[in-house]
Amino acid sequence: MAEARYLYCIADSAEKVNFGNIGIEDSEVYTIPYQDLCAVVHNCSPEPYKSEDNEVVKKWAMTHQKVIDTAWERFGTVLPLGFDTIIKGEEGITPDGNMKKWLKGDYENLRQKLGKLKDRAEFGVQVFWAPKIISKGLIETNPEIKKLNEEIKSKSKGLAYMYKQKLENLLKKEIEKEADRYFKDFYERIKRCVDEIKVEKTKKLEEDKQMLMNLSCLLPKEKSKILGDELEKINNTEGFSIRFTGPWPPYSFV
Amino acid sequence: MEPTRDTHATLVDLLDRILDKGLVINADVIISVAGIPLLGVNLRAALAGMETMLKYGVMQDWDEKSRVWEREHRKKTLPSLAEGEEIALKMYGSYYYSKGIYNAWRPGYFYLTDKRLILYRQDFDEITFQIPLEEIKALIMKEEEHFVKDMKKQVLYLLDKQDRVHRLSMVETNQLKDAIEQRIKDMGFYLEENPVLPELEDEQIVGSLMEEERVIHRGKKVWYLVPAEGIQQETWRPGHLYLTDKGLFWWYDFDKKLVLDVSVDKIISVSTDMRKTSSLNSSKEKVLNILYRVNSTKKVALFSGKEIDEWAQVLSHIIPAQQSEETEICPQCGKEAPVKELLEKGCPYCNWVSPRLRKKAQENVARV
Repeated sequence: MAEARYLYCIADSAEKVNFGNIGIEDSEVYTIPYQDLCAVVHNCSPEPYKSEDNEVVKKWAMTHQKVIDTAWERFGTVLPLGFDTIIKGEEGITPDGNMKKWLKGDYENLRQKLGKLKDRAEFGVQVFWAPKIISKGLIETNPEIKKLNEEIKSKSKGLAYMYKQKLENLLKKEIEKEADRYFKDFYERIKRCVDEIKVEKTKKLEEDKQMLMNLSCLLPKEKSKILGDELEKINNTEGFSIRFTGPWPPYSFV
Repeated sequence: MEPTRDTHATLVDLLDRILDKGLVINADVIISVAGIPLLGVNLRAALAGMETMLKYGVMQDWDEKSRVWEREHRKKTLPSLAEGEEIALKMYGSYYYSKGIYNAWRPGYFYLTDKRLILYRQDFDEITFQIPLEEIKALIMKEEEHFVKDMKKQVLYLLDKQDRVHRLSMVETNQLKDAIEQRIKDMGFYLEENPVLPELEDEQIVGSLMEEERVIHRGKKVWYLVPAEGIQQETWRPGHLYLTDKGLFWWYDFDKKLVLDVSVDKIISVSTDMRKTSSLNSSKEKVLNILYRVNSTKKVALFSGKEIDEWAQVLSHIIPAQQSEETEICPQCGKEAPVKELLEKGCPYCNWVSPRLRKKAQENVARV
């Protein structure tokens, strides 16, 4: 069977290194240097890694990450690839030949990316909020809502129901406005601490805890404290909480 | 606040990155993995549990859509019948559809009415096969190999008055067969007794194929100029050509055996010319010349027939490509073509081109 190369990352080093059997399924991981870069790979057959068993896939993905971590630690700057990126050979060209062809063709681009990502790491920032707490606050502070809320108490049962509907609609609109306002505010504050931000899709959670924003942030590794301090402030705001993950190799910025 | 890496929640965040992101290589040398997004979803399900996945909204959309679809399509559960037409029997089954290189069992429900036999697919509200009962000439039941190894299945062959053979399969073959026979008798018609199946060469050639060998192309009758042997002069004989991923075969209809068997990598060239094929008249016919290697010598095989052009085209696409690489199915017309040609030129049969290629062509036009 023809050979292929499973590609973990591109690293900023021309060093020829053998990392030993730390790869997926205990494969031997080593570098293929090209000029002043290298590709971190293991040898595999030209078939993607597939499994019905999620535990197996999870194990593979975590190994993928571990290998990149190892290379990251050693070489300082890496361009990580997603799981299951495999370079195959073609007629008359070995996988390594193909790899070099690609590295040659994309060299400038890769060099530029490595430059941009030097000493930088990616951090995940997810802001959660509890709309219930926010709406409680709104009932007390928003004059229009406050007035409506007062009026309900004096109405008959049927009318109270109508008013309640009205109040709920109004609350919903106001909460959306609030979300917008908080989003802009937090975004500006976080932006000041980082090089680059990518806004990711938010995910649905439980009723009383919603994801307000999901960000990937790129910043110099040593500056994570500045970001952490700012996030701490947001975390201390009533009704909000933060999930702060990383440092990750810059998956979102390659 | 310190960033964390090692909690359960973090794991989801990390997997999002590993499975969906990372450097994208814009090259043809990558093994593509169409299954990856699905893999990601599966994985997340295992991590978070089904319930959480629904909350994440991964499946909800799909689930609701499929329910709506189901609701709409469940309403229509019967094929449209003629006025006064009555259903006598309904049974799950399938019909072997074979046209060109496409062949498959198409499933549905058989409806036997007092007028027709229908195969109806309720999901698409479509009648995929039907025949008026008076058109049925004979019914033959055969036990055949099931695609599940060591299993047999009953196949009902239905001969119509034009001597066409239809291959059907159903849950209770005997029951449907008896019911059809009864109905036909009631209508005052008779089925042929002890009928013989014409041309079942398909089964036999399939038997001569190796395991995992796939038929890429087949067609109507093809004449082969059988070389002289002993006192026999060279003669045109009728049979069928089959191209599989392993080789080219010619099946002699009379003797019911494989006469010519050329492995694909032995074929040197394929061409056509006009020549006299009959001593009775002087008219010329198009003949397919296949030059192939036998040990260190070369031989020519000559074929004639109605579909010679088609064969020449199919062979010329398959032959030069086979040395280098595998074939792929065209996403538009479903025919086999070399991967390289599909990607770089487009489909040789239906002119399908990949989105990437189309984009490139547009860019070229824009540049000009």
